[in-house]
Amino acid sequence: MNYPVKKTPWRSGLTIIGLTFLSLVVSGTAIAAEKIPRLSNGKPDFSGIWQSTSAADYGLEPHNSRVDAPPDAGVIDGDAIPYLPAALEQRNKNFAARNELDPRLKGWTLGVPRGIYYPEPFQIFQRARDIHIIFQFGHSIRTIHTNKTEHPDDGYDLLLGDSRAKWEKDTLVVDTINFTDSTWLDRAGNFHSPSLHLVEQWKFLDANTIAYHATLEDPEVYSRPWSIDIILHRHREKNFQLIEDYRFTLDFDDIYPPKRDSK
Amino acid sequence: MKLLFTNPLFTKLLFTNLASTKKVFARNMKLFSLAVLVLTTCVQYTHAQTSSAAASTSSAPAAKVDKSTPKIASGKWTGPKLEDGQPDIGGNWSPTFGSYLNFTDPEGISTGERPRTLPPREERAPSRVSDPADGKVPFQPWALAKVKEYQDFYANPIKPEFIDPLARCAPQGIPQSLYMHGHEILQYPGYIVFLFDQGNRIIHLDNKPHLPSNIKLWNGDSRGHWEGNTLIVDVSNYNGKSKYGRTGEFASENVQIKERYVFDNDGKRYNYIAEISDPSVYTRPFTVTVAERKWTEADEPRAVVYAVRKAKHAGSETIIENDEERACIEYNNPHAHLSVDRP
Repeated sequence: MNYPVKKTPWRSGLTIIGLTFLSLVVSGTAIAAEKIPRLSNGKPDFSGIWQSTSAADYGLEPHNSRVDAPPDAGVIDGDAIPYLPAALEQRNKNFAARNELDPRLKGWTLGVPRGIYYPEPFQIFQRARDIHIIFQFGHSIRTIHTNKTEHPDDGYDLLLGDSRAKWEKDTLVVDTINFTDSTWLDRAGNFHSPSLHLVEQWKFLDANTIAYHATLEDPEVYSRPWSIDIILHRHREKNFQLIEDYRFTLDFDDIYPPKRDSK
Repeated sequence: MKLLFTNPLFTKLLFTNLASTKKVFARNMKLFSLAVLVLTTCVQYTHAQTSSAAASTSSAPAAKVDKSTPKIASGKWTGPKLEDGQPDIGGNWSPTFGSYLNFTDPEGISTGERPRTLPPREERAPSRVSDPADGKVPFQPWALAKVKEYQDFYANPIKPEFIDPLARCAPQGIPQSLYMHGHEILQYPGYIVFLFDQGNRIIHLDNKPHLPSNIKLWNGDSRGHWEGNTLIVDVSNYNGKSKYGRTGEFASENVQIKERYVFDNDGKRYNYIAEISDPSVYTRPFTVTVAERKWTEADEPRAVVYAVRKAKHAGSETIIENDEERACIEYNNPHAHLSVDRP
């Protein structure tokens, strides 16, 4: 209230109405927060089909519009991914050749975390002991163990990593290691090494929205840990479902099945 | 695809793969497992052949393979149920015998395999085709000729279509995925999810309409419902591209598949029964039957069939978890993609 306001007899009445409205809004928010779906064990239930509306897959860093991407203010903390000098050089090479090198173009597994913000839906199937994520792109499957098990002592290098999670109140905290170097982070050539250590936090903003926060630590590629923040929206269209997208099979789409020879 | 051979990342990937012992190990393990499967099958024949004639001399007889398809009647489910009322049938399963190597003679010689002496047909496991009674797929003549051509050129694929889609990391498809290796069944309210080592299926239990008919999928579009102990699944939108086995039997994209999964109330077995109809390829509908068995913590892990390990954790109980990433071994590395251009 920077401007002087003339007191009127009805002003206090308005204040009361305003306060009442405010308290309704506050309690409404509280009710909404409590109405997230839960499993029978009380943990938040992320089951459903989700997708990001962000432009993260076009480039995690802030970027102008390109012929192959819309502009975006970026989804990372800060203006640039803190690459080590040699890694930055590699990223720049990747960017220059992105239209040939992006694994997405070959239909290869997007991996983690890229599959989460790639602009195609994924479906979460959740039980108390684990969460399975099926990505429409490639129909690849990621398992997140939520049964207090730990990373294996001698794990394989995996396209989707080895994911172990715990609950911190209503936030799912996922720790993932054992990556490969076959996956990229976006179509701008950003990348990681097999030494990537990913920590994700999944939390409901409301029943149909998830706040997704990921921290990437990779001493071979980055000078410090950095993070990604995106929001995931629940698909609520009638009868919406995943449609398997095995686009790497398009190369040989017309040779199967055998066709009857034309006479 | 030609670009791949000249681009630096491709070369890097190739050499990284060669250098990474873990990856090579994982890949070799799968090939090794496959070899073991074939070998075990051979060994089982040998034992079957020798056990009657020279039972007394056999110091370590192989476990007898159960080749029977148990009679499991469709009826009430009396076993445990999940919170949403579904029969609780989740877990690891595999065919009781054989694999995908030979569709109509699961213990016979596979395509591309060297000839060897086999016991008489009646002593080998029955065809996956349970109807017609002769165990053969009722192919129209042109389709049978295509199958034979595929078999003839399997080991020397002079055309790209003679390469099994599996070698290109395509999904195993229906019904092949039910007997290729093992599989895991997961259950959720409204869904049953099948995980195979090359692809997966989401069975919708909510009766939503099928996808538009012009959409064709490697694993089809599945709608299921429970009738007592039987899961009934209607498959549409199937692209017909996967083979039924290494022997090359196939369908077209006009195929209709109706599946029944009949679970024994003891939770140890189920029969997979698929009625397959495609007037553009067959002379009549036919039925595929596969006897499946459950694998549990009590069983030793077995590569590709029951590929599990004991999870690391602080507690004392045994927790079994999947040991292999469910991605094609060639997926994301050059091997499969070479074969696209170079049959």
